[in-house]
Amino acid sequence: MGERLQQQQSGRSMILAAVAGVALTAPLLGMMGFSFLATLTLLFISLPLLLLFSPLLLFVGLVFMVALAGFAIAATMAFAGVSALAWIYREIRDFRRFATKMDYKQQVGAQSHVEQMGSVEDRSMLDLDDECLDSPGTEVQKTQVPFSGQQLPFSDGFPIGGNKMIRNGVYGSIKTVVFSNKLNLLMPFGPLAILVHKLTTSNGWVFFLSLLGITPLAERLGYATEQLAFYTGPTVGGLLNATFGNATEMIISIYALKSGMTRVVQLSLLGSILSNMLLVLGCAFFCGGLAYHRKEQVFNKATAVVNSGLLLMAVMGLLFPAVLHYTHTERRAGKSELALSRFSSCIMLVAYAAYLFFQLRSQNDLYSPIDEEGSHHEEGSDNDEDEAPEITKWESVIWLTILTAWISILSDYLVDTIQGASEAWDLSIAFISVILLPIIGNAAEHASAIMFAMKDKLDISLGVAIGSSTQISMFGIPFCVVIGWMMGREMDLNFQLFETATLFITVIVVAFFLQEGTSNYFKGLMLILCYLIVAASFFAHEDPTTTDQSKQPKT
Amino acid sequence: MDKMNYKGQIGVTSHIEMGPLDGAMLPMHDLVDECLYSSEMDAQKTQPILSNQRVLFSGLRVGGYKMTRNGVYKSIKTVVFSNKLNLLMPFGPLAIMVHKMSASNSWVFFLSLLGITPLAERLGYATEQLAFYTGPTVGGLLNATFGNATELIISIYALKSGMTRVVQLSLLGSILSNMLLVLGCAFFCGGLVHYGKEQVFSKATAVVNSGLLLMAVMGLLFPAVLHYTHTERKVGKSELSLSRFSSCVMLLAYAAYLVFQLKSQNDNYVPVGEEGSHNGENDDDEDEAPEISKWESIIWLAIMTAWISILSDYLVDTIEGASEAWDVPIAFISVILLPIIGNAAEHASAIMFAMKDKLDISLGVAIGSSTQISMFGIPFCVVIGWAMGREMDLNFQLFETATLFITVIVVAFFLQEGTSNYFKGLMLILCYLIVSASFFVHEDPSAVGQSKIPKT
Repeated sequence: MGERLQQQQSGRSMILAAVAGVALTAPLLGMMGFSFLATLTLLFISLPLLLLFSPLLLFVGLVFMVALAGFAIAATMAFAGVSALAWIYREIRDFRRFATKMDYKQQVGAQSHVEQMGSVEDRSMLDLDDECLDSPGTEVQKTQVPFSGQQLPFSDGFPIGGNKMIRNGVYGSIKTVVFSNKLNLLMPFGPLAILVHKLTTSNGWVFFLSLLGITPLAERLGYATEQLAFYTGPTVGGLLNATFGNATEMIISIYALKSGMTRVVQLSLLGSILSNMLLVLGCAFFCGGLAYHRKEQVFNKATAVVNSGLLLMAVMGLLFPAVLHYTHTERRAGKSELALSRFSSCIMLVAYAAYLFFQLRSQNDLYSPIDEEGSHHEEGSDNDEDEAPEITKWESVIWLTILTAWISILSDYLVDTIQGASEAWDLSIAFISVILLPIIGNAAEHASAIMFAMKDKLDISLGVAIGSSTQISMFGIPFCVVIGWMMGREMDLNFQLFETATLFITVIVVAFFLQEGTSNYFKGLMLILCYLIVAASFFAHEDPTTTDQSKQPKT
Repeated sequence: MDKMNYKGQIGVTSHIEMGPLDGAMLPMHDLVDECLYSSEMDAQKTQPILSNQRVLFSGLRVGGYKMTRNGVYKSIKTVVFSNKLNLLMPFGPLAIMVHKMSASNSWVFFLSLLGITPLAERLGYATEQLAFYTGPTVGGLLNATFGNATELIISIYALKSGMTRVVQLSLLGSILSNMLLVLGCAFFCGGLVHYGKEQVFSKATAVVNSGLLLMAVMGLLFPAVLHYTHTERKVGKSELSLSRFSSCVMLLAYAAYLVFQLKSQNDNYVPVGEEGSHNGENDDDEDEAPEISKWESIIWLAIMTAWISILSDYLVDTIEGASEAWDVPIAFISVILLPIIGNAAEHASAIMFAMKDKLDISLGVAIGSSTQISMFGIPFCVVIGWAMGREMDLNFQLFETATLFITVIVVAFFLQEGTSNYFKGLMLILCYLIVSASFFVHEDPSAVGQSKIPKT
């Protein structure tokens, strides 16, 4: 019964992925058709002209070159779209055959992973995300690779040399990391963004494409971090997850800091907190409440309360510089606020470190029997899967580096084109930074939180949503202030009155909703509607500092 | 006495009030009737049954004419003369007379305010009588909509006159007085009466209501902060569009709240509901004799609404004159005086239920009313203003928004425990005193400006 439910739910996410894939290929095919038609039109228009002005051979040559390029683009789009459609079709067909095998793997995987901050009971969200988004093709791959990995050293590897084994290892690694997730369909958008940036000056397109390109990289980064966490043990693994959990936002922020766009840093971090607290949590509560209509879902009240307390402390840290600035009661105007922000950031970092310490200690104290059992499971069942289908320690380190590098490159483009996109789309920079950027950047976490809520694992959803908010507010923001301090940028904790008030009321509303320890679809709907109000407010909000910043030359 | 208790107990299980739907709701107006009844009413109650029978036997002979006239007379007797509060009813026509004869705005204001009070109470009574005939679901919806019909009618008239600031202030004052004064008095009196033990109420309902109030504060906060920090994209227009969008979202949330309440009531309380409807059928004997029939309740509903509208017109017209005559700011009159006197009946019934250790009903009256006004009344007025072409928005200015914010936080904090005692009640009342004092010294810039605009 439970298997069937899991099967249905995995089928559902499958269908969602299929729909997303179709939605993605449809514009591709549309672009193909459009470019094809455009080329044909160009030819038809220019042909009579050619006949009239035949001596202009250069002109003729140019026209033919453009036509060829148009046809080539059309063909490329068609190829990409058709291959994506074929892939989706193949995956769906294979999924139906291997559904039961996937259930078994899910159950095994459920018991053996350690999630980021929170209790040991939390599950590895991204890993199970993989499971659900995995096609059975990967299943086949996973069973095949152990054979190829183990046969070679005995039969061919030693005489031929490590070359073949390394090459198969690299290929297997790429297959596992890159091709095992449907979300990676978006990966080509990254290089495409760079291409478009070099070819055209359309900032809006570059921004959008780099944003789409970052999304799968962010998800893969989390995956690589968790793989690495296997080898480092639960303590360092928890630390890794705590630091790299929001690495994407941190990288984007550091690049924005380097460009001197401190306001964008503040707004994007704030938007990340708001979207995690309201949208992700609200969707999780809502979908979970609808799926479990009769009973009320419960979650660990203690964890929720601790996180709410930390969020309130972050609000306090942000409130004082803003109020100080707004009431014009600083001792030395301009300097005091910055000094206070830097001091508060250090305090907040100390608080966050203490929180990690407290979490890991209480996890060790309270959960040592389960922990031993968990690690036993890890050693027992995972080792076979770690070294075969998943990636080895060095591979994960290498992938971590590669993905971080890619994210950095795309972040550079993202940050550079945000103002151009804001002007092109006639949206305020505040709206783009606070609402659009986090929604798309957090898409993977969002999907996994909803999925876990629908499986009645509300603690994990809460860990994803609220834990992420706490991490950004108590670690991300102060860390950026300190980084800005080292870089010589004047990044402070004064988020301006409107944003600070928004964060304050949001934290109070969410802390209030969480204090009971239960959830139902109504609470989720309330949180989603609150997010709608917040988004509408930012849509109507013109941030005075960003308009000033847009006129300064960037360094 | 016994009959009164029995009727009280039947009434407990058969009504749906807004707020806690745990089956322990009482028709507050019904019990208000009971308590304000003199013993001669008991005599009257037995008499109509006898006279009814006599009428039936004789009226069939004389013709339906006499029976209709006696029915009308009886109906008037039941609705109009059965409540001590209706002693204030003549003040309504008196206000109209004074308005026509003299130019004293303050007297007209005061008299129309006194005249509205019993009409508001009777309106609630008629709504509940109608709720008998329509079943719990529609009855709940009726109570949810008409529960604060008086405030809404006053607000719509003020909107029509272009006095959007008075609308905002009166709705805000209604929320504040319900949350602090009515609830505080209920807790205080209940705590004094039940001195030894701590009274408990349904924590779940209180938490849901507090959450909705916080969401309302959020909806009000953003336009105010947007306006105050001068960070709107298109000055003047963005705030209005944001207010209208937020109002639609809040109305949607309120509708979802009603759906959620009714569905959980159906799921969880089916046994109690059946018992209640069974008892409700017992009521039918008493409904058709001392209480009023379905068509009577609808007619009385219409009559009350019409009367309240007329008096509201005078009220709104004379509020500025009264403010000048008494040398009291319009903000104070709208926020403090208007709701206290307008809500007198609900106030009394909440206190009475608290003293009977039925704290859930008091909470439903007080906090449920606040939630209804904040999540339904205010957005509804914004939408009505949108339809009328008035620029009513959710920007209640910083002072009022801050007041609402801190009040909601204080009340949510007091409610989260699920218990009450006289100390908590005293705290809430004292908080209300602080709020009133603040509004006494608060000069509202936009209201002053409005008083000089000629009314359309």
